[in-house]
Amino acid sequence: MSGRVPADRHGDLLDWLYERGKQRAERVPEFDVERTISRAYAARDAGAVNFWSALSPAERSAFESAARKQVFASGTALMREGEQADAVMVILDGRAKVCLDEDGRERIITERGPGDLIGESGTVPGYVRSATMIALDTVQALVMRTEDYTAFIADFPGVPDLVKKQTYDRRTGRP
Amino acid sequence: MPQAPYGDAESLFRAAHKELMRVAYALLGNRADTEDAAQDSFFKLVTAWPRVGGLPTPDEQRAYLFRIVINEALHILRYPHRRWERLGVDTDQDGASWEVLDEQVQARADLRLLWKAIGELPGMRRDVVALRAAGYEYREIAARLGVSISTVRSHISYARKQLSRTVARDWEGAQG
Repeated sequence: MSGRVPADRHGDLLDWLYERGKQRAERVPEFDVERTISRAYAARDAGAVNFWSALSPAERSAFESAARKQVFASGTALMREGEQADAVMVILDGRAKVCLDEDGRERIITERGPGDLIGESGTVPGYVRSATMIALDTVQALVMRTEDYTAFIADFPGVPDLVKKQTYDRRTGRP
Repeated sequence: MPQAPYGDAESLFRAAHKELMRVAYALLGNRADTEDAAQDSFFKLVTAWPRVGGLPTPDEQRAYLFRIVINEALHILRYPHRRWERLGVDTDQDGASWEVLDEQVQARADLRLLWKAIGELPGMRRDVVALRAAGYEYREIAARLGVSISTVRSHISYARKQLSRTVARDWEGAQG
C-alpha cells in the first residue's frame, strides 16, 4: 500500500489515502513521549544563543586578552554561592553543574558547557554569587575580572545585549 | 462540570501523545519522520503556549495541538528532500530490497504533488482532509477538530473536487 498512486485512482485520491492511513494506524509503533519532549528542548537549546560563538572575532580576541585562562579539575568549584562576584567566565571546554544549597542538600539546577558565559553576577560590581558551579570534568574557562569586563563593554557596547539575550533564553527555556 | 484546561504544554502533550502519534504515523508512514513531527510539534506548542494555555477548554487545546501536528506532518510530506537519505525507514519493512526502496522514492515524488495540493487547501479544510487521509471517520474528525460532522462532510466534498482538479493538472504538467 506504500506504492504509487494507481493511475485509475486519481479521481478518488482521498479515498486511497484514507485506506492507507487506516492501515498504517493499525501498526503505529510505540513512541516515547518523554524522549520526544527532552529532544525538543535540547534542539531548542541548541538554537539558543551561545555567547562565545555569538561574539564577533574582534570581541572574542579582546575578551581573550583581557581574561586569563584557568583550568578547573573535575569536582572543583568554579564559584560558590554567596561569594563576592568579582569575575565573569566563559567556558571553553568541559561541563559544569550549577547547584544551590538547600538546607545542606545540593540541588542541581542545570548544566553549562562550552561557549556559555557563566557567573553573570560578576558583570556588575558588588554582587554575590547566586549559585555554586562545580566542574563535571576538566573545565577550561576564560576568567575576566569585573573591572576588566566594565572596560571591555565600554569598547564593545553590543555585548551586554548578548548577555541579556542568553539570560533570557535560559529563563524562558528549561532550567 | 466542565473540565479544566491543561495548565502547561507538557501535560497537554503527554495526554494527547498517543493520538498524535497515530495521526502523524498514519500520514508519514515511518518512525523517523513521525518522531521529527512530534518533536517539532512539541516545540511549536511550547512557543504557542501563551495562546493555547488561554483556551477555555481542554478540547479546544487538544484541537489546537492536532492542528499543529497536522501542519508539521504536511510540512514534512511537502518538503521531504532532506529526509530522503533516511528512506530505509518504513521501519517495519526492515530488509526491504533496493527495488522496494526505489519504488518508495518514486511514490513519494508522485505523492508530493498531492500533499502540496492538500497543504494549499484553505485552513480548516486542509486539516479536515489531512485527518481523513490519516484514516479517520467523519465523526472522529469532527470531534478532534471541534467542528460539526456536516462541516467535515462539506469540506471533504469540496476538497475532493479541488484535489482531483489540481493533482490531475500537476501530474500532467510533471509528465509533459
